[in-house]
Amino acid sequence: MRPILLSGHERALTQVKFSKEGDLIFSVSKDHIPSAWYSANGERFGAYKGHQGALWTVDVDPTTTLLATGGADNTMRLWEVKTGRELKKWEFPTSIRRCEFSEDGRQLLGVTEKRTGQLSNVVVYDINPDPDAEQTDEESLRIVVEELPRVTVAGFSSLGRYIITGHDNGSVAQWDAKTGELLNEVYSHEDGMSVTDLQWSADRTYFITASKDKTAKLHDTQTLEVLKTYVADTPLNSAAICPSPTEYVILGGGQAAMDVTTTSARQGKFEARFYHKIFEEEIGRVRGHFGPLNYVAVSPDGKCYCSGGEDGYVRVHHFDPPYFDFKYEVEKEKQRELGF
Amino acid sequence: MAANVQNQPGRTDWADDEQPDLATAIPPPQITRNKDGTETIVTVFINEDGKRVKRTQRIRRTVVKKRENPRVAERRQWAKIGPEAGKPAGPRPDTTTLGENIIFRPQVGFKSGQKEEKAPEEDKKADQLKKMQIKCRICSGDHFTTKCPFKDTMAPEGEAAGAPAEVDSGPGGDAGGLGVGGGAYVPVHLRKGASGATGDRMGGKFERDDLATLRVTNVSEFAEESDLREIFERHGRVTRVFLAKDRETGRAKGFAFVSYADRIDASRACERVDGYGFGHLILKVEFAKKAT
Repeated sequence: MRPILLSGHERALTQVKFSKEGDLIFSVSKDHIPSAWYSANGERFGAYKGHQGALWTVDVDPTTTLLATGGADNTMRLWEVKTGRELKKWEFPTSIRRCEFSEDGRQLLGVTEKRTGQLSNVVVYDINPDPDAEQTDEESLRIVVEELPRVTVAGFSSLGRYIITGHDNGSVAQWDAKTGELLNEVYSHEDGMSVTDLQWSADRTYFITASKDKTAKLHDTQTLEVLKTYVADTPLNSAAICPSPTEYVILGGGQAAMDVTTTSARQGKFEARFYHKIFEEEIGRVRGHFGPLNYVAVSPDGKCYCSGGEDGYVRVHHFDPPYFDFKYEVEKEKQRELGF
Repeated sequence: MAANVQNQPGRTDWADDEQPDLATAIPPPQITRNKDGTETIVTVFINEDGKRVKRTQRIRRTVVKKRENPRVAERRQWAKIGPEAGKPAGPRPDTTTLGENIIFRPQVGFKSGQKEEKAPEEDKKADQLKKMQIKCRICSGDHFTTKCPFKDTMAPEGEAAGAPAEVDSGPGGDAGGLGVGGGAYVPVHLRKGASGATGDRMGGKFERDDLATLRVTNVSEFAEESDLREIFERHGRVTRVFLAKDRETGRAKGFAFVSYADRIDASRACERVDGYGFGHLILKVEFAKKAT
């Protein structure tokens, strides 16, 4: 496969997201401009100007009409994807670390950063999916995370039932999305190693967390039980679950950006690592970035993935047939038994 | 201003004259359908050098039907926004480039390339360690002398017998031979194992192994060590590349030395690279002669 390099950003990428059909890629970086790209040929569709600080997060609603971004200028903004119009700006006392739409696109969640005098908050807004409608200023829910350490990542579970948060100390917590009550908390990652990413499976019944403790873990949404563990040899920044037909997960990471100059590209381990989801075994790597991978995202149709790196590039990879044909011996046997 | 006055209205400069010249006019492309379903297109055009070129193309048209999500199709038609507004469809070279082809095949029991590359070297080291026989100087068992269980009760074997038994105790080993038992310092060149003659060549036993070193001459003066390394690394593991450079100009002097880990690689490289054209010169490669 020949990767497509998207070089519209001037600084390190922080997050990349696919639209639901996988045709558009949205990327945000520490320069102030979110970009949208066609995944098929890497053509840039456009950029959304308005933010005045580094951006940490982006998400697109399931119909690809609304785009949410948040960053270090202490705002979370809503854009119309098609026209680039800014629809709404929510202001906060601290920066927005993560935002995510619920499954139906009717709710938007934002995580504010914990800083001196300010606690981590998870705020939820009801969203009107019509781009011409007035969006509300009033949050429908605010979770003030008092007794737990700083929230780094968060997301809505299936049917918008729970909010799952990942924390600075490696713990994962489950909250009721209606009342904001803390339901469950597990310490799945090593103590003091922050959870750097949380991504959902296609149906949001389980999710994967990546952590600085060099592991990624598959959790059950309902019970927060750790289902699988993927061990890497480098701190991880991101992990993604490949949707069917393949049963893989992709991990991305690398030496922390501040240590990078002291190591060569090879030693920095700036590779996307593919693991088999069930067998927890590494099956391959894709090289290319000159810096740590800050985010990996898989297209919802499973045919392509992209990674955003500290080097300022987004690399889009369309998988070749061997990727889809690969099967473990037991899988092949099972297929034969079932008479495929 | 004068030029403007001279030009009569309605008539432009002769250089802008756009009257079609029949001799240089370009006929429209001719398309003929062939029997086997292909089409032949004959186009006449003027190429970059200003020459008339006739191009004949035979093409076959096939219709590939592809289903696409109507939403995706609609989004593809969207007018571009922001900095891309008004730009034509298709990727722009300033924001989108194609990377090098990556071969990615999932495999069971994947090991990263880094480990694979490292492995043979480690194996070699391990082999060497295996070959090196460890022999205790006290009891002749296969452990280090310092680990010998009889260390405290017995004197080293060689010293007891009064004659040096081992051959391969290097410098920094025991100071047997001279000064037996005494703690007196013995200069390196007088110790057992060193050749008796004083004023030996510098380097002594650490002399470079010239057996696997190639002398490369007729090197371009703009060559870099990395270029040479690239050329020679194809034939085996290169341990050292030395390119003689002029101290003042920093340019290469025209000769270099390349050492291989293995003499077989060196001789193969000697054969293959000799006569290789590099930087408009032809390399001459031969085995380095021992320095005298």
